[in-house]
Amino acid sequence: MEDFKILEIKTSVFADNSIQAGKLREELKDKKVLLLNLMSSPGAGKTTTLTRTINALKDRLTIGVMEADIDSDVDARTILKTGAKTIQLHTGGMCHLDAEMTRQGLEGLDTDGLDLVILENVGNLVCPAEFDTGAVKNVMILSVPEGDDKPLKYPLMFSICDVILINKMDVMPYFDFDMEKCKANIRLRNPNAIVIPISAQKNEGIKEWTDWLENAVNSWCE
Amino acid sequence: MHELGVLNSMVHTIERIVKEQNVTAVHKLVIEVGELSGIVPRYLEQSWPAASYKTFMEETKLELIVIPGIVKCKDCGRVFNAVYSDLNCPDCGSNDMEILEGNDLMIKEIVCN
Ligand SMILES: Nc1nc2c(ncn2[C@@H]2O[C@H](COP(=O)(O)OP(=O)(O)OP(=O)(O)O)[C@@H](O)[C@H]2O)c(=O)[nH]1
Ligand SMILES: [Mg+2]
Ligand SMILES: [Zn+2]
Ligand SMILES: [Zn+2]
Repeated sequence: MEDFKILEIKTSVFADNSIQAGKLREELKDKKVLLLNLMSSPGAGKTTTLTRTINALKDRLTIGVMEADIDSDVDARTILKTGAKTIQLHTGGMCHLDAEMTRQGLEGLDTDGLDLVILENVGNLVCPAEFDTGAVKNVMILSVPEGDDKPLKYPLMFSICDVILINKMDVMPYFDFDMEKCKANIRLRNPNAIVIPISAQKNEGIKEWTDWLENAVNSWCE
Repeated sequence: MHELGVLNSMVHTIERIVKEQNVTAVHKLVIEVGELSGIVPRYLEQSWPAASYKTFMEETKLELIVIPGIVKCKDCGRVFNAVYSDLNCPDCGSNDMEILEGNDLMIKEIVCN
């Protein structure tokens, strides 16, 4: 009979990633750089919101952007037009970024002199919630056409976010989206989340969001 | 493909653990998959050959134990399986609940030879 040694460990599958992410956050604290992880379903408006955010804050903060995409560089080209320092990260088929890939991205971007780095994560609501990237703040965008019951279907994503932006408010009249119900559903998953309705396309509601963000950067970099 | 990324991450976690324990070969892994983890056991099994390819666990077997998604209704206190009742309390219909079990993806045992 073969002799097996059994290690009973009871560790999360994601343990190693969480350790790496924790280290990265400490380094970012030392460097006084706030890393923001921006997540959503495909097409909810991450790139459009990012453009508005950079334009609102670029006179007061030095911003860098990491665009994660499975294979293309369309979004990075869009962001480059704002003048922000931008890098494209290809995940090679992976539907999320982990802490190690984020670290490599930050090295490639070079964070010297930056106050804020925004990571546009791969568009989906499952894996980006499981994998801590090392970000200091997590923000997600839920767009009106996706429906007010998304917080019930993707509980983990909603529970890890500091801010939830409800985007595409301009199309509200055409959808059966109940804002109060949506807020109640979010509260079930995350009582502390800040909910801000915006229309990235019409540039509405952006100030409340960028005020929050500027505040977060200032307290992190103190 | 969510499951492949999850397994890649797991390979790194195990790599660190076995190094600490001075183990070189892993015969079998026992993984607990919670029904509320969002991860599909069948897809995990299918992705394992690709995730372990050219790693030190290429020959390692993967055994999965499914942990039921048990929740407690915050309104009436009823404890029930969330998957079978479609995330609604069978007694009062509320969807405000606390997860008691079945939320995680855990490495339970590493069987070494
Ligand atoms: N009506 C309306 N459309 C919007 C708004 N914001 C973004 N869009 C549109 O939604 C589409 C997707 O927007 P993006 O900003 O590219 O979304 P994304 O989340 O970056 O998409 P991926 O990177 O492909 O996942 C584009 O056609 C935008 O013009 C909005 O506030 N209102
Ligand atoms: Mg985009
Ligand atoms: Zn995924
Ligand atoms: Zn109940």
